[in-house]
Amino acid sequence: MSAVFKPHETFRDDFTYANSPQAIRRFPLPFPEDNYMYSVNIEPHMPGPAGSVTEFAFDVDEHYVAECRERAIVLAAEPLRYQALPHMMSSQWDCMELIMDSLARDYPEHFSLAKQGNRWHWINRPLEIDQHFTFGDAASLPREPLDYITRQAQGDFVVMDQREGDLWTEAGMVTTQADWSLDFDMGMTFKEWHGPVPLAHELQVFDRALKFLLNLRLGAPVRRLNWTMTINPRLDTSPENYPFWGPDRASVTAQNAGDRVHLRVELQGLWRLPRSNAVVFGIRCYLISLRELATVPKWARRVHRVLRHLHPALIDYKGLTRYREAAVAWLAPFDDGSPTTPGTASE
Amino acid sequence: MLVTGIKSKPVYAPLQADIRGRYHLMLGMGVGAAPLLRVIAEMRAASEASLKYTRVLYVPGAEAEQFKTAAVSDVQIFAGTPALLESFRQVLAQSLMGTRLYVAGPESFIGLVMKIALEFNLNKDEIRAEECGSLARRIYCIHCRATTEEVRTNIVRCVGCERWLLVRDHYSRRLAAYMGVMVDAEAPGELPLLKEVFL
Amino acid sequence: MSDAAQTIAVEVIGIEQITPLIKHFKLAPVGGGSLPVFSGGSHIIVVMQGTARLHKNPYSLLGSPLQLDSYEIGVRRMEESRGGSHFMHDSVKVGSRLEIAHPVNLFGLDKIARKHVLIAGGIGITPFLAQLEDLHGGGIPYQMHYSVRSSEHAAFLERLQRREGERLHMYYDSEGQLIPFETLLATQPLGTHVYVCGPAGMINHVIATAKACGWPDSHVHWEQFSAPPVGDAFEVFLARSKISVHVPPDQSLLESIEAAGVEVPYLCRGGVCGFCHTKVLELDGELVHNDHFLSDADKAKGKSIMPCVSRAHGKRLVLDL
Repeated sequence: MSAVFKPHETFRDDFTYANSPQAIRRFPLPFPEDNYMYSVNIEPHMPGPAGSVTEFAFDVDEHYVAECRERAIVLAAEPLRYQALPHMMSSQWDCMELIMDSLARDYPEHFSLAKQGNRWHWINRPLEIDQHFTFGDAASLPREPLDYITRQAQGDFVVMDQREGDLWTEAGMVTTQADWSLDFDMGMTFKEWHGPVPLAHELQVFDRALKFLLNLRLGAPVRRLNWTMTINPRLDTSPENYPFWGPDRASVTAQNAGDRVHLRVELQGLWRLPRSNAVVFGIRCYLISLRELATVPKWARRVHRVLRHLHPALIDYKGLTRYREAAVAWLAPFDDGSPTTPGTASE
Repeated sequence: MLVTGIKSKPVYAPLQADIRGRYHLMLGMGVGAAPLLRVIAEMRAASEASLKYTRVLYVPGAEAEQFKTAAVSDVQIFAGTPALLESFRQVLAQSLMGTRLYVAGPESFIGLVMKIALEFNLNKDEIRAEECGSLARRIYCIHCRATTEEVRTNIVRCVGCERWLLVRDHYSRRLAAYMGVMVDAEAPGELPLLKEVFL
Repeated sequence: MSDAAQTIAVEVIGIEQITPLIKHFKLAPVGGGSLPVFSGGSHIIVVMQGTARLHKNPYSLLGSPLQLDSYEIGVRRMEESRGGSHFMHDSVKVGSRLEIAHPVNLFGLDKIARKHVLIAGGIGITPFLAQLEDLHGGGIPYQMHYSVRSSEHAAFLERLQRREGERLHMYYDSEGQLIPFETLLATQPLGTHVYVCGPAGMINHVIATAKACGWPDSHVHWEQFSAPPVGDAFEVFLARSKISVHVPPDQSLLESIEAAGVEVPYLCRGGVCGFCHTKVLELDGELVHNDHFLSDADKAKGKSIMPCVSRAHGKRLVLDL
């Protein structure tokens, strides 16, 4: 079933973003249990149930048009949110092909791609784009291929070159991130890039994840979920713009937490790329307010319990210090102490 | 906001001669002379021949004289870091595989040398660095992208946007700088006590 | 990959005997269409249903990564073949059907290298043919050094000469020509990477010479798919599956375990990637390590084994499978 786009919702200023009841039901809750700690929770990125966020390689939902517009706003102000080192050009074409092939195959009502040798014709109906170009010839596109296609996709993309037994962050489009900077982290190794993440290094999460990803196979993508919280449905919580969104954290009270505090879930997908042997890391962000979340009784109980008992280092790293208690207080009336069934299904 | 314990912070170790290398290129600043002289002595003990392929680029420091007696054929003394870095770039362009790089000095000096070495695809197996002298940091403002030099304090006012920045341990080798992020965004005017911590 | 992963059905559409020992095969997808895109240096696993058993051998893709209507591989007839290369040479005809796995690249070019030096011996030329397609026309300088027994053994020479011109350096054993490894490796500019594929002796010599010239390991790349060597028959007990498996002389440990219905994850089947790394729980006897993955120290410890190429002899071997 195809979603009905809400092209006018906003992720800044008046924050008109909201989830429809259908969007709430398919929200990817990242907590299979009532408590949370890091794990290498990687699984094959196989098609999930019809209508779920993992039904297709790249999920296109009711926020598609609005998210693409939000990305354009960010890039107009800060062009460096997109960067690619020169040796990443073949991986750029790889990414473009992966995204175009997937969207055209999975959403034929919105996208189409016709290939005649290297002459490609791409149509994006929701964004009213009709583009003829020559695959492999950057001059035939209005922008670099990765820049071009990720302006037409939801979620951030980071491309990692593989060499010296490591993965190097060397290209990306990052405008919907949870407080990390592509500009600062460009050129870093896998562990340097994840350097600020607490506890996980000691749990050897990154050793194991790196070893796994170095052997990631063509045609066998994987995925995992990660999460944090954001005040207001703001996609661009970048370190660059922290002076503008940081103050929001001080505005939360137990009364307004239901509408202000959002669970921010990242559906992270990883693909081996064929021409470049690079790995692309897609980070798709889903936002849901506590009020929307609480329409599912089991989720309200679970999130209440996860937040109440969260490890102090994670509270600090995820930036929840100022408002976690208010969020817990707002959720408390929804938690009668009854057990939750295992897994994330809404019941 | 995590400040310390971040894994991107470089780890340095005392310099040791690596006689598996064929050519030895040493760069030092100030008190960085001492570790380099120590390596030269180690190399002399291991193989006199390797000193023939040893070259030193140095910004003094009072120790410049000591290199003259170290029996290294090629020592260049520079008036300042920019001149040394310019010469370093030219030397790398002429260098062959088998070269080992030894860097000794303040972290900010090491960072600037490493940044150029990266452009020549030298990697961790080819570079050794020992931190000595000042721990002062180069701070890249994540908000306005200006770099504030010689930062010795836990928070610093950005030379570009004049925001007060928290100095984090997150380090970029490409930028040769630590990250600075606005410290009082969530509560304007609430600054932690200014402390000298990078001496 | 494991057997659960997808394979692609292909049909042999061309076979050419290009040297006395090497045959060149073209494989096209059954029913037409395109094969997956790949990068230079990739290999595929070819699955062959022999009369006695299944063979799964790795072969480098040597065609252009831009030509995807078929894949090209070169197969050298191995003197001590356990059947895979003999099967390809003797039983596979135009029109034969085979299964292949998606390409995997364990021998990619370093993308930030300032220069590439490629060194091939004999059939070791195959991964470079696709890499040269990537390098050709790019801005990074490179050289191809190719050593063969004699001119009749110089596989793909015409293709190379036509494309590479002066960048190709040929060496014929029959003429007493040797690659001047020492001079070559002692005179390369900073940021050069060297790649070698060929007989074990050549690979080891390049690794040793590079080290002597002061090259760091990270700039020295090599690939050698060991065919699983034949050996004595032995028994293995799989602790988690609780079954005993007989390993005959001409079948590898991995193949025997698979034939018994137990899946082991693998990528290269040639002792290179470390993917099939398996814990040894008990051992009365000794392991015969034939892989290039474990360090000498790890091999000596006897606590782990690469079942794709390594074997055992002795009274008892128990694996954590």
